[in-house]
Amino acid sequence: MIYAIRTLVGQEKNVARVIARNVKNSGIGVSSILVPESLRGYILVESSTNLDMQNPVFKVPHMKGSIEGEIPYTEIKNFLNPEPILSSIQKGSIVELISGPFKGEKAKVVRIDESKEDVVLELIEAAVPIPVTVKGDQIRLIQKEAD
Amino acid sequence: MVTKACTRCHRIVEGDLCEVCNLATSKNWSGFLIIVDPEKSHIARDLKIQEAGEYALRVR
Ligand SMILES: [Zn+2]
Repeated sequence: MIYAIRTLVGQEKNVARVIARNVKNSGIGVSSILVPESLRGYILVESSTNLDMQNPVFKVPHMKGSIEGEIPYTEIKNFLNPEPILSSIQKGSIVELISGPFKGEKAKVVRIDESKEDVVLELIEAAVPIPVTVKGDQIRLIQKEAD
Repeated sequence: MVTKACTRCHRIVEGDLCEVCNLATSKNWSGFLIIVDPEKSHIARDLKIQEAGEYALRVR
């Protein structure tokens, strides 16, 4: 079973590390903790037992509580095999940044790196279009071709 | 210290070499996974990870 725990943004790995250390030899059924790059402010805990958030092992700095209920395994499978940048993105596509300092901004694809890992973007709302290079997993396709 | 990940086994290590695979590591990695109990973890089974520890989901 997979459960989601909220953390302070930027502290995901630290919270995961402390919980992983705490659950060892505790008898709690946590078997893994997943910190997907694209899921800011959350970590996913795989456990054979319900998470008792009152248990001291989960009382760690920057932990902000848990999400009620389980997450189906099928929903987290995508995180396990992060796709290289979607082949559907092309020069001129409109994308939204889903992580990093420009999170939430829309941008136009200027160039796609040969490795298909890096994408050069131009932020649409910026007064001066400055090219920004990001990783393929930091963007989400909004519109395949610009009008 | 910059953490790096092995390009083959995806273990997170602090040096330039993965001592398990004897391969150079990369600082270009993303996604983070801690396997606590490889025998009970469905995720570990899916990713064919047999040892507890810290792993990257993606390494370039
Ligand atoms: Zn290795």
